[in-house]
Amino acid sequence: MARIELDRVAKRWGDVTAVEPTDLAIADGEFVAVLGPSGCGKSTTLFMLAGIYAPSEGSIRFDAAVVNDVEARHRNVGIVFQSYALYPHMTVAKNIRFPLRFRGVQGADAERRVREAAALVRVDDLLERMPGQLSGGQQQRVALARALVKEPQLLLLDEPLSNLDATLRLAMRSEIKTLQRKLGVTTVLVTHDQIEATTMADRIICMAKGTIQQIGTADDLYRRPASLFVAGFIGSPPMNLVGGEAAGGRLRVGDRDLEVSAASGPVVLGIRPEHLTLGAPGMPGEVVDVEPMGREALYVVDTPLGRIRALAPAQATGPRIGEGTTFRVDDTDALLFDAASEALLPDARIGFGP
Amino acid sequence: MKTLVADETPAAPALQSQAHWDGLAARGRRDRQVRSGLLVAFLVTVSLPILLPYFWMFTIALSARTGGVESIVLWRACAILVPAVVAIGALNLVLHRPMAKLYGASAVIVLAGVAIAWSIGPELHLDNFAFLSNPNFVQDLEGRRQATVESQFPSVWTAFFNSLVLATVQTVMVLGVSTLAAYYLSRFNFAGRASFLQALLVLHAFPAMTLIIPIFLMMYWIGLLDTLTGVILVITTLELPFAVFIMKGFFDAVPWDIEMSALSDGASRRQAFWYVVLPQVRVGLLAVGVFSFIKGWEEYVFVRTLLFDKQNWVMSLYIFWVSEDIMGVDYGAVAAVAVFYVMPSLLLYLFCQKYLTQMTLGGIKG
Repeated sequence: MARIELDRVAKRWGDVTAVEPTDLAIADGEFVAVLGPSGCGKSTTLFMLAGIYAPSEGSIRFDAAVVNDVEARHRNVGIVFQSYALYPHMTVAKNIRFPLRFRGVQGADAERRVREAAALVRVDDLLERMPGQLSGGQQQRVALARALVKEPQLLLLDEPLSNLDATLRLAMRSEIKTLQRKLGVTTVLVTHDQIEATTMADRIICMAKGTIQQIGTADDLYRRPASLFVAGFIGSPPMNLVGGEAAGGRLRVGDRDLEVSAASGPVVLGIRPEHLTLGAPGMPGEVVDVEPMGREALYVVDTPLGRIRALAPAQATGPRIGEGTTFRVDDTDALLFDAASEALLPDARIGFGP
Repeated sequence: MKTLVADETPAAPALQSQAHWDGLAARGRRDRQVRSGLLVAFLVTVSLPILLPYFWMFTIALSARTGGVESIVLWRACAILVPAVVAIGALNLVLHRPMAKLYGASAVIVLAGVAIAWSIGPELHLDNFAFLSNPNFVQDLEGRRQATVESQFPSVWTAFFNSLVLATVQTVMVLGVSTLAAYYLSRFNFAGRASFLQALLVLHAFPAMTLIIPIFLMMYWIGLLDTLTGVILVITTLELPFAVFIMKGFFDAVPWDIEMSALSDGASRRQAFWYVVLPQVRVGLLAVGVFSFIKGWEEYVFVRTLLFDKQNWVMSLYIFWVSEDIMGVDYGAVAAVAVFYVMPSLLLYLFCQKYLTQMTLGGIKG
């Protein structure tokens, strides 16, 4: 178990910067998710923690000791790869035992630890099988056992669930989370799936274009996204983002003038689809499309603010395509971003009127 | 399914009778049998010209007597074996249960064996294989007396041993160098990597024959002329570009992930290569090994150019001089030497083909 610190860590490949100088601290035993679209530098960060890539600048510290030049094999870091990366020519038992041979653990001691690790992820009845004979979920568990058998001070999970089918993903999500709580191992999960990040991790690090956009709990990222990127990336269906111009206490969006405070110049108005109340007295709109999604339905509505998506309970009596409707937005639910810096204007208040 | 039926019989009624479906099913079965029958016939026709010379070589080696070429044994054997093969093929098509197929095939094989023993059994003999124990056999065949020192052949076992050393050492060197070079080319980026790969291809396309005179001169100056070492070095060098290229393909197919995984599991770069990467390319190692062994075993042009001393003869030179010295006298002896020569590569191929044809790398992804 270790406390991990990144101090101005950056990675460059020639002229290309994969990770801009980054500061980060992960507490001992914490479960952190690095969330971002592909190419945002999250895997590079992971491989720098593992010691497979050396950072171009800055320092990585495990428990206050700088480990920049410590080789991957000496870092005692467990990794579960997206492809699981099991050794195809070894049985499950030999796969799990592989890390032990380099730690001088032998004989009955090694046997016992392999069995314990296998039992932990419930693959102890598969020990003599070859990886090719296992299902995706079983391979995933074996990879986890192999990462845990060395009692790592840091566990890295690189998109561990993306090759599983939906049902299995749901099961493994809670299983990994429970296991991490039980063992108390510091864990970094890299993923592009916000559900994975929000359901499993204590804290989420949202990355884009090689920089950290925001660090916080799932709730923080959802309620107070620090930038336009986080606002658009977190939440499904995504937040409505409409451009506007603020001047002298008025905000011009579409052909509506709204009240605004603490904002001026070009801005972006953000409203989550679930914060629009369809049918309540307020602004008029016309339903362009309805997408039923089971419990709820997504309404695409043309409003004076522009085209907006609204999430409402699916009901037979709801407005149909082509019909007019009205909607209301609570003033506290709307967010305002600066269009130039893409940052949240935290003090801005919007009034949608009666 | 319905549209398919409608396409074929436009006037078909909407409700098909059972008889209609049965008819279609019978037609499907018949078509399948005709197709597989045609395929077997085609494959047999194509492989006959390849198999016949080998078969002929074996029959001559086992049946020819001094002074003449008897083709009657070949024709008799063919007259029995061809119907036997056709019969087995036909039984396979007609019979359906595996046990029935097995019994049918065994019956045909026993019948053919009896027929062969009866018709050509008395013609078969091993006299042509006298060369295995008698180094003076060429003179004996020609009715000359004891050979002079100059015309005395070396023992065939000397040539066999030389060939074995040449092929084995060459194979080991090719495997060692090409594996390391290909791994480096596959995994590391260095200045000139792209042009190195292009040069490999050009080298492989370059006809080696054109190099004979320069290589001869180089061997002479270095002092390796008329030594096995020299020939081994030359053939290894000529084999390497192709071997490196093949091995690089195999290394490229090994995912980075398992190597990174080995590194984080505590292996050094070398241990990761040895314990994790190398086992993934064992099919490639086997393929390159078999091909370079056979290449070394069959090499003729360079050994003919670079080796003179009789004690340095390899099998290809041995068979050349046997046919040179007794051509027109005894095809049986030449064919017998040929059978002896072809055996090791044939056995090697039979042993390895099982592994070479199942080119699976095992499951890495789920």
